[in-house]
Amino acid sequence: MTATFKAQDEDSPLRAPRASEAPVRMYGVSKSYLPGSWALKDVSLEVGRGEFVFLTGPSGAGKTTLLKLLFAAERPDTGQILVLGRNIARLGGGAVPALRRRVGVVFQDFKLLTRRTVEENVGVTLDVVGTPSREARSRVFNTLRQVGLHDRRNDLPVALSGGEQQRIAVARALVGEPDVLLADEPTGNLDAELSIEIIELMMAAADRGTTVIVATHDRSLLERYGRRVLRLEGGHIAETAGDSGA
Amino acid sequence: MTAIVLRSAWQGLRSTGLMGGVAVATIATALFMLGAFALVVVNMEGLLDDFGRELQVTAYLEEGLAEDQAKELAHRVETVEGVEFVNHVGKDEALERFRAMAGGAALLEGLEGNPLPASLGIFLRPENRTPEGLAILRASLDGLPGIEELAHGQEWVDGYARLAALLRVVGYALGGVLSLATLLIVANTIRLGLYARRDEIDILELVGASRLFVRGPFLIEGFVQGALGGCVAAALLALAFGLLVPELRYGLAFFLGNAAPRFFDAGEIFRLVMGGAGLGLGGAALALVGGNS
Repeated sequence: MTATFKAQDEDSPLRAPRASEAPVRMYGVSKSYLPGSWALKDVSLEVGRGEFVFLTGPSGAGKTTLLKLLFAAERPDTGQILVLGRNIARLGGGAVPALRRRVGVVFQDFKLLTRRTVEENVGVTLDVVGTPSREARSRVFNTLRQVGLHDRRNDLPVALSGGEQQRIAVARALVGEPDVLLADEPTGNLDAELSIEIIELMMAAADRGTTVIVATHDRSLLERYGRRVLRLEGGHIAETAGDSGA
Repeated sequence: MTAIVLRSAWQGLRSTGLMGGVAVATIATALFMLGAFALVVVNMEGLLDDFGRELQVTAYLEEGLAEDQAKELAHRVETVEGVEFVNHVGKDEALERFRAMAGGAALLEGLEGNPLPASLGIFLRPENRTPEGLAILRASLDGLPGIEELAHGQEWVDGYARLAALLRVVGYALGGVLSLATLLIVANTIRLGLYARRDEIDILELVGASRLFVRGPFLIEGFVQGALGGCVAAALLALAFGLLVPELRYGLAFFLGNAAPRFFDAGEIFRLVMGGAGLGLGGAALALVGGNS
């Protein structure tokens, strides 16, 4: 699939995509790390505003690469990627931070600041955009209350369980009210009960209008929620299933 | 935003623990060596200045030149470019000096009258104690009535100029090498700290921190660690100077003569501390560029 894009000034502040535009769009995207071997090959997809999508497939299918492309940690070899109206393939280095302030990311290994408190871990998202201290504390408190950790805000992450640490990571991703939330195997280190807790926090974000893409190979989660599923195999979208409505 | 960067730097400094201590100790050690070398150089420069002050050109005056003519000549010589002052030594004074140097009158017993000539001791300004400065003086005094002979101590002036130039070159070269070594050591120490905090940098970049936000705290930390290292080095140098100078006074007297060894003044200590801060800042910048973070 090919597409023509109207050029946008890549260094201008992010604009919100028009209501009719899907916040996440990929057209004919390929990515290779080694010659002759494709991590992604000719992938096209669209994910709408407030839509919750599972991205699944075996290990090495390209799930992580696809997510990395969406938050500009990698650049595509070919194809076009539009996130919130910005063309990732042409994004200047200076514009990447602005994009990431609108895209929350959650990882399997939490990626927390181990020497900072729960509150500081969540607040870092607001610190980088210079949110005034009083407002930041209030927003961090409200977000921690959403994930049920407001009573643990002064603790260090190591004092919390794995499920609680992942909730910190989700709170950090959500506190900036992102338009897009990406999660790479967020339940990979959690038991079934905690996995459901984390997924439902992200579904609540989707209900508030955030576009959510969750990479997982946990079949039980896919079956439980019946949401749209994009299945990757060998770098290709092999199958799309489930409800595609937001 | 600036407040947040400063707060982040402060949190970073508080949380660096052992790694931060190692960075300060490394900078202090490197600056101690640099400072010890600088201390040797400033004392040698002081010694050279003292030596230079004693360098003089002697103009022997014609026999029979009247006292007032000799004084007028001294005034004329004082106007020559590069001359700091002129000391007139009359015949009688010259004889007295000779007696004092010879250790008594025995050598002079057979002499009739005073065979020693009157002279002008001509002292050049420090910047003119060079072969070129001496040439200007010679040209100016050449053919001046009343001057019999010029004893200019060319070899002394040449030696002084060579020694001063050598000290300057060796000082700059060794100082440069030590500074570069210090910068690289500091950069590597700070880079180790960066590796230890790689996860923190990744997280900041993940949530959309700008380059300034990510790098600023590390640059501030490098500056502060460098300044602390400079303070520690200055304190250690003062301690070593206080302990070693009395122990080495006989050996130092051989090199310095009557000149007392001196420690850095307040301005020089400030420059050492700021030098440390600059090295810390430069090392951090180098580490950030090298670390590509």
